[in-house]
Amino acid sequence: MSDDDVRMSQIARALRAPVRLSASFDARVMAAVRRLPGHERLKLWARLTTPRSVTMVPLTWGLLAASVALFAVLGALHFVVDVDRAAKPIASALFPAQMKPAPQRVQFVLVAPDAKKVAVVGDFNGWDAQHAGYQAQHRGGGVWSVTAPVPVGHHRYSFVVDDSVWVADPSAPRVVDNDYGVPNSAIVVPQE
Amino acid sequence: MTKSVRTVTVLSLVARALTAQSGGPDPRLVARLDKPTYVAVNAIVDSARAAKLPTAPLVDKALEGAAKGSDGTKIVTAVQQLRVRMTSARAVLGSNATSDELKAASAAFEAGVSDRDLARVKAASGKRPVTMPLAVITDLIGRQIEVSAATNLVIQLEKSGVKDSAFGLFQRNVRADIDRGADPTVAAQTRARGLLQRGATTGKPSE
Repeated sequence: MSDDDVRMSQIARALRAPVRLSASFDARVMAAVRRLPGHERLKLWARLTTPRSVTMVPLTWGLLAASVALFAVLGALHFVVDVDRAAKPIASALFPAQMKPAPQRVQFVLVAPDAKKVAVVGDFNGWDAQHAGYQAQHRGGGVWSVTAPVPVGHHRYSFVVDDSVWVADPSAPRVVDNDYGVPNSAIVVPQE
Repeated sequence: MTKSVRTVTVLSLVARALTAQSGGPDPRLVARLDKPTYVAVNAIVDSARAAKLPTAPLVDKALEGAAKGSDGTKIVTAVQQLRVRMTSARAVLGSNATSDELKAASAAFEAGVSDRDLARVKAASGKRPVTMPLAVITDLIGRQIEVSAATNLVIQLEKSGVKDSAFGLFQRNVRADIDRGADPTVAAQTRARGLLQRGATTGKPSE
């Protein structure tokens, strides 16, 4: 075996021997790989998942906080308004007493010197001339009056004198009534 | 209130509203009307309920007829005519019109106000209720003021943003003037002019 053959054998043996790498070599290699440009599909994900430090000026923080607060308020308002819009007509249909404003006390006055009895009838008391809460009292001098609760809204009414004579309130708006031949009065009770 | 609680509340309200829609016979009608009249009136009320019209004014109209001693035919006719008027009123005022607005519009129709005039009153009122303006128009017509004159005056006041309370004052003043012997139309025009000049208005004009 020539000297050259011996040297070649030594080189080949050295090359076949396992390579002993330092402990930090893997880390250095992987760091180098991570620094290489990634695949297009992975770029966004990598951006989102890779920890990084972000520097922001106070004005940017302020604008960001204001935007978040604005969206929160608008969202809350939208939700509240929608719920109310949905619930109000339903609740008012279901629980009219709870949803409608409280009835207002209204004074009805009729001058009827010859009357023995005066009652107020209307769509607020079922046109019931015997309704106890709507019997007028004689105040003297032919003046009869009663103050009674009337629901907020538009109503038609009349006086009934001596259980037989229907008299429209001379101090109230008139309602043309061709249905039953006896005129009524109108009242619009506003919400206080 | 949490979202889930709100949702449950709304759903329960919807369920109860649907239940309430089914309605039932008004015991006052049973007590005060004879059987044939009751059956006819109840059928009209049911049809109104199905058409999503307010039924209370129809029941009240029947009770009014009974209280005034009218016969059954008159009562049924009156209730049916009111139903027709309310249907027409809702067609003009829209499905969001309140029961009070429909009642006031029905009374205005009965006094001679046309669909077109009602639409003008509605347009002039913007988003405000037309109950009081219509009540005033009906009253003016009842005091012998021509329909067109009464309607135009009230529309003029509406466009100026006159409040309901000012409408009430206007009506009372016109009535007092007429009671003292004034010509109804002149009294209404004069009081309207005064109201506008005094600036008894609120907010921006609607147009």
